[in-house]
Amino acid sequence: MNIENNIKLWSSLGMRATFGLIAIELAKKHPNLMITTSDVSTSAGLDRYKNKYPEKYLDVGIAEQNLIGVSAGLSSEGFKVISTTFAPFQTLRCCEQIKVNLGYMKHKICMVGLASGLVLGNLGFTHCSIEDIGSLRSIPNISIVAPSDPFELFKALNEAVECKNSVYIRLTAGANSKIINAKDYEFKIGKAVEILPGEDIAIIGCGNILGNCLEAASILRERKIQCSVINMHTIKPVDKELIVDIAKKNKLIVTVEEHNVIGGLGSAVAETLSDEINKCKLVRVGINDFYSSGGSYEYLKNIYGLSVEKIIETVLLNL
Amino acid sequence: MKIKKLKNFAKNIRKNIIFTAFKAGVKSAHIGGALSAADIIAVLYSDIMKIKKQKILDDNRDRFILSKGHACLALYSALVEKKILKKKDLETFESDGSKLLGHPIINKLSGIEFSTGSLGMGLALGVGVALAAKKKQKKYITYVILGDGECNEGSIWESVLCASHFKLNNMFIIVDKNNFQQTGKNSSIMDLKNLTSKFKSFGCETVEIDGHDIKKIYKSLINKSLNKPKVIVANTIKGKGIKLFENDNNWHHSIITKSIYKNIQKEL
Amino acid sequence: MKNKTKYIEIFIKSLSIDKKKFNEKLKYNDIDEWDSIGHMTLVSGLEEGFNISLDTDDIVDFSSFKKGIQILKKHKIT
Repeated sequence: MNIENNIKLWSSLGMRATFGLIAIELAKKHPNLMITTSDVSTSAGLDRYKNKYPEKYLDVGIAEQNLIGVSAGLSSEGFKVISTTFAPFQTLRCCEQIKVNLGYMKHKICMVGLASGLVLGNLGFTHCSIEDIGSLRSIPNISIVAPSDPFELFKALNEAVECKNSVYIRLTAGANSKIINAKDYEFKIGKAVEILPGEDIAIIGCGNILGNCLEAASILRERKIQCSVINMHTIKPVDKELIVDIAKKNKLIVTVEEHNVIGGLGSAVAETLSDEINKCKLVRVGINDFYSSGGSYEYLKNIYGLSVEKIIETVLLNL
Repeated sequence: MKIKKLKNFAKNIRKNIIFTAFKAGVKSAHIGGALSAADIIAVLYSDIMKIKKQKILDDNRDRFILSKGHACLALYSALVEKKILKKKDLETFESDGSKLLGHPIINKLSGIEFSTGSLGMGLALGVGVALAAKKKQKKYITYVILGDGECNEGSIWESVLCASHFKLNNMFIIVDKNNFQQTGKNSSIMDLKNLTSKFKSFGCETVEIDGHDIKKIYKSLINKSLNKPKVIVANTIKGKGIKLFENDNNWHHSIITKSIYKNIQKEL
Repeated sequence: MKNKTKYIEIFIKSLSIDKKKFNEKLKYNDIDEWDSIGHMTLVSGLEEGFNISLDTDDIVDFSSFKKGIQILKKHKIT
């Protein structure tokens, strides 16, 4: 497989369609794979998979609580289960089922939350997900990963299917998403990646919004501000070691996420820092705990300080 | 089927329910809902289900899910009768660090398939397990016991639709219809009206029986449906077996004092 | 069309089909490989191969091999 060709194609397809392609590869590798959904095949890029492997595909209709229970039952009987639907329904509608079946009973399911963050803002906040990381973080035994681009999704999903505990993977952005990882690199759930070295200021982000972080960092370099950019793709278990190290070496950390500043990546970083004595300032950029009026992805990123300009502004304001 | 053997099994379940609840003392226990399910659970464990202590993890075993998890005293008692649990295990009920709590905790080696207790969740698990059987071409049957109050939960109906859609004729869903839920009668809290016709309209082969008639329970459990999940709406009495407790919702969750324990001995 | 050979090559490669499966009468959804994912792969292949950028209307209108020729013409690929 030519990695670089795939990176370009996958980025133009976006994370959801890429998920559909990865699913086909996973079905070849894992004979006991089951993908379960709540009436979302096309939206998850799964039409091709569904036609090729109908016996490995289960649609339970628009019934997410049943989806998790059924998936857990299948998992308890030896199937490798990936469940998927839009992020708010994948995480909040069936949150207690996730707690009881995955957290408490430790049945292993890989959950893929489609179109998380703000990308479906034109449909209103019922279809946006700014609470998924926060809600799941308080349930033990579930890892939470926000891949930065479709290539990272490929790596994350492959690892998630093999690992022992449940994983929630949150997909962000749409078609023509930004390429964050242009070459092959080492990926491991729980280990953050420095994608741009720098000093004094560290921008820590997760999800495709890292594209804006990189752009902001590049413009700041013109002003002789050399911030580093860290891809903290795993919010749970968060890379505590790296966070502590960053806090020692920098004066300012700015976290950036398409999620409420309460409960997500920023909170995870804050919790880690509160356990240590450090002089580093922490500023959390994201959704400031309110639902704005709906609109395009760009419109919403601007409202919530997630545009390139606003990220730059935040860094400059806190120097 | 030997009726005497089944009736005896049920009697022992009731004895163990009372014994365990008494030992729990001030921690109290869910008694009424365990007693109402005792005859159904007795028939299942004594005769119908293929479950053996020596082959407790056998992939071909029948699966039992107590979705109305608060009736766990009946389950634990049945497991003692099958010698999968020991009687002295019952004395650890609700104690610190115990594997036997007020709701079942998953422990397949002890014959407990899933942690239930949050109502409305056990049926979906049962659907998953029954679907797995079809996919793996296994012949085991999945039995799920629901409470009638539990049928207030929308998630139950999601799972019923699903079981019917996938023609899960390898599932038996038994509703312990004792007409009470925590705060009072179903009819005053959330009226289920005709539960049997509801399940029928959801595509299940549904029968309604006297949930304390051992013969009728047995008969309803021996025949699978051709291509539908089977639902048995069992009309029961909450607290059945102890006259003092019957149809008295105060015994949903309560303490058995020394004097009450002494008084009810003759009924056991 | 000067670039027809190149267009056909990109078509076959993007949809991952055998040369034998290709014919100029092909339409979207005629074959398994030209589904929604195949379509996006095709669009990506054409943009990369001819150094053009297709807009949403182009992507939606691109319902057959022949229609593709017209769209490429619009982008000055003849």
